[in-house]
Amino acid sequence: MNAEMDLVDFAVDHARTKGATYAEARFEKQEPENFILKNGVLDALYVGHDQGIGVRVLANGALGFAATNTLTKSAVRGIVDDAVKIAKASRRKTKITFAQEDSIAMNWSVPESKKLADVPVEEKIAEIRDVDKEVTGLGFKLAARFFNLSDNRIRKYFANSEGSHIESYSPRLRVFYFLTMLEGAAVEQTARNYGWSGGWEGVSTWGLSDRVIAEARSMHKSLTEGKKSPEGKMDLVAGPQVAGIASHESCGHPTEADRVLGREAAQAGKSFIPPEGIGMKVGSELVNVVDDPTVEHAIAYYQTDDEGVKARRRYLYKEGRVREFLQNRETAAALHTRSNGAARAVNYNVEAIVRMANTFVEPKDHTVEEMLEDVKFGVYMKTFMEWNIDDKRYNAKYAGREAYLVENGEVKHPVRNTIIELTTPAFWSAVDAVGKDLYFEAGFCGKSDPGQALDASMGGPTIRLRNVYLR
Amino acid sequence: MEDIASRIVDKAVSLGCQDAVADVIENRSYQIRFARNEAVISNQWRESSASVFLVHDRRVVATDIKDLTKADEAVERLVKTAKASQPNPEYAGIAKGPFRYARTRPDPKVLSLDEGGKYVEAAVGGAVDQGAKECAGSFWKYEDEHFLATSNGVEGHDHRASLYLSIRALVSLESSGHGIACATKLSHFTPEKAGQKAGHIASLARAPKSGKAGRYTVLFDPLIFGSLTDQVGGRLSAWAVLAGLSPFGKKVGKRVASPALTLYDDGSADSIARKRFDAEGVPTRRNVLVNKGILKTYLHNTSTAKKFKTKTTGNAGLVSPDSHAVFVKPGDRSRDEIFSEVKDGLWLTNTWYTRYQSYVNGDLSTIPRDGIFHIRNGEVVGALKDIRLTDNLLHLMKNIVALGDEPEQMMWWGEVSVPNFVPYAVIKDVGITKSAE
Repeated sequence: MNAEMDLVDFAVDHARTKGATYAEARFEKQEPENFILKNGVLDALYVGHDQGIGVRVLANGALGFAATNTLTKSAVRGIVDDAVKIAKASRRKTKITFAQEDSIAMNWSVPESKKLADVPVEEKIAEIRDVDKEVTGLGFKLAARFFNLSDNRIRKYFANSEGSHIESYSPRLRVFYFLTMLEGAAVEQTARNYGWSGGWEGVSTWGLSDRVIAEARSMHKSLTEGKKSPEGKMDLVAGPQVAGIASHESCGHPTEADRVLGREAAQAGKSFIPPEGIGMKVGSELVNVVDDPTVEHAIAYYQTDDEGVKARRRYLYKEGRVREFLQNRETAAALHTRSNGAARAVNYNVEAIVRMANTFVEPKDHTVEEMLEDVKFGVYMKTFMEWNIDDKRYNAKYAGREAYLVENGEVKHPVRNTIIELTTPAFWSAVDAVGKDLYFEAGFCGKSDPGQALDASMGGPTIRLRNVYLR
Repeated sequence: MEDIASRIVDKAVSLGCQDAVADVIENRSYQIRFARNEAVISNQWRESSASVFLVHDRRVVATDIKDLTKADEAVERLVKTAKASQPNPEYAGIAKGPFRYARTRPDPKVLSLDEGGKYVEAAVGGAVDQGAKECAGSFWKYEDEHFLATSNGVEGHDHRASLYLSIRALVSLESSGHGIACATKLSHFTPEKAGQKAGHIASLARAPKSGKAGRYTVLFDPLIFGSLTDQVGGRLSAWAVLAGLSPFGKKVGKRVASPALTLYDDGSADSIARKRFDAEGVPTRRNVLVNKGILKTYLHNTSTAKKFKTKTTGNAGLVSPDSHAVFVKPGDRSRDEIFSEVKDGLWLTNTWYTRYQSYVNGDLSTIPRDGIFHIRNGEVVGALKDIRLTDNLLHLMKNIVALGDEPEQMMWWGEVSVPNFVPYAVIKDVGITKSAE
């Protein structure tokens, strides 16, 4: 991509000549391939060849961004002129600044044992079709089912006016599936999502067929043996998926510094944590929640962010207290700190904003059996279906998909649609044991305008909450 | 650009494709995002691309070509990929043209607009005048131009442009309101009014108290009612029905809503999503989806229509049909009258994060945000916070008891994904839950 790199470098230089005090440009080439197998039929196969350049400038203390997919010098000159012009037209009273960061020259890539580009589409389709056949072969009444296999090869070149030049390559792989099972008038639905940074070898790490079959069997068991979930205060043993979604929604999102500062107020919302909230108590001393872009093979793996800042592990909550916000250079300057490499964009044509990567509860040393054996009466919620949380990230709900009654340490019959509806401090303050069975699933995280649905993963070990209200 | 679309289609046909669609799109949109009462970034896009859909021996493939100078090579690659793919026995072709399209032109004043700062200032000013301290949102000038060609004789051109502003006004973290302005004509664009509404709700929502769980009669502001009708529109896609993502399966001809509700989809009507044709080139039109509470049809493209033994509604999506713009037939209540409908209940103004436990049953919850009010005898008697609407989409639609007489165009950040023209609505017996401490 030498020609494209030259255009990026030209964009940065031209922006400075036009009066930008800071400029960065990012070329991205994305080669996605995905298909949906719906009720056994391949709907359509999508193959993309997406590329373009986005330019962001600081001029007169304001930000301007412009993007094009016409990769010529005149088109790039045009978007630089646009970006500088619209930034200068902003007439901000308070000037935007960026936190100081070191310039970086780097070329990194995610290793692919079996290159995604070398895998024939027939092999990809066969992989999913085999899983579909196996799950339909179980004989359950699956009223609807669809599988979405997608991969993407993302090449980037980033340069800024401070001397950073970074090339990167990220191959990513993801499968999403959705099943609807009937039993009489009762319905059970599930949605699951697995991700991988790397090559086609990721498929074998998922054990997809076994997982889908196990999921279908648990759905059938829930439909045939499930009872109403008990209501009242009791113990909750929450599996890795539940711990993962809670860490993403009620730890990761409220510690995004752009939310804290109000930049997302009209869209994804604000945060119950104020700008001065570092150290604020939100959970028990056992609660450590981490966001880490450097988890190998997690779908949101990266070594440098989209502002050219090196990625690192970040403790969002440490020993039950807010430890660190997720920062980009703009928010870090506003809060008088440094960026921690959390700026990401979904493609070349949108600005990089503060994002989570791979967010999880840090594991400790309990086994699941140890956590269950101390429960006199409660629910073991392994997975969830419905969930949501308010825009200040304080009132969350997680509705059980696979869940069981627990009595005197024994796992009994399935319970259906168990509801956890708790405030963020109520959830995390009730944690009295943290397992060691760390496990991730993939998701999409939505934010910004225009919307950026970005690769993220979330996980954790099994955790136990004491004496919380469930229904 | 017409030439490029036709050339892509011709190339695909020459390589043995039975069906081909090329939509060459030029995007020239412009946006200002603002927060804390001033611009945080301005964005400008200058992009040209082609969305391409090909069918080779019933093997369906699609791509977006970003380098239009290499369109031929991209088509060749795609046909090669199609040959390696698998047939879709449910694929039933694309619509046969040519078609005649309505003559529509964007407002020249919208097209020539290249600076949006004064509209942001007007909106923020409107909100601050009502007592808001902090405002955030987006101003958009949407502009795109489509050049469509298909192997079934369709050639179409559509130049679309509109203005949009979304503003959230805050008095404090827990006292906020939201306003929306949409227009296809500059003279109809009212950002200040949107700001005033957001600011008014925010001021009214001062010092909210924690709400209580229960079942309530609820007055829905157009923005949140639009979230619900947007769910109805989206779930009426035939694709959603087939995929298990809709509570409307096997309900055509049956009651799915109160007799008060008549709802239609219309891509041809004036809205910020107005379009002359769908993705197959079929002229957009009005389709009554729910008539006095009875479900009349799903939204179809040619393939889903064949599966359901009906005709396309002009809502392609080449894979999944979708709504263009949802319209609710207004009721007969003035704003004062519809508030008076609520003797002891709630007024909700906005929501987000609508999620389903069961799509086929319609069991959902969604979280009201911005102003939440306790209403007694039509009057606001207090502001509330921290509640969740936990109910069922069909139950909600069946319990509509009154509709206002003034629909407003609403669209907002995913929750209202296409324009929904909706009035105030009163729904009885709405489930409200809240977090345990």
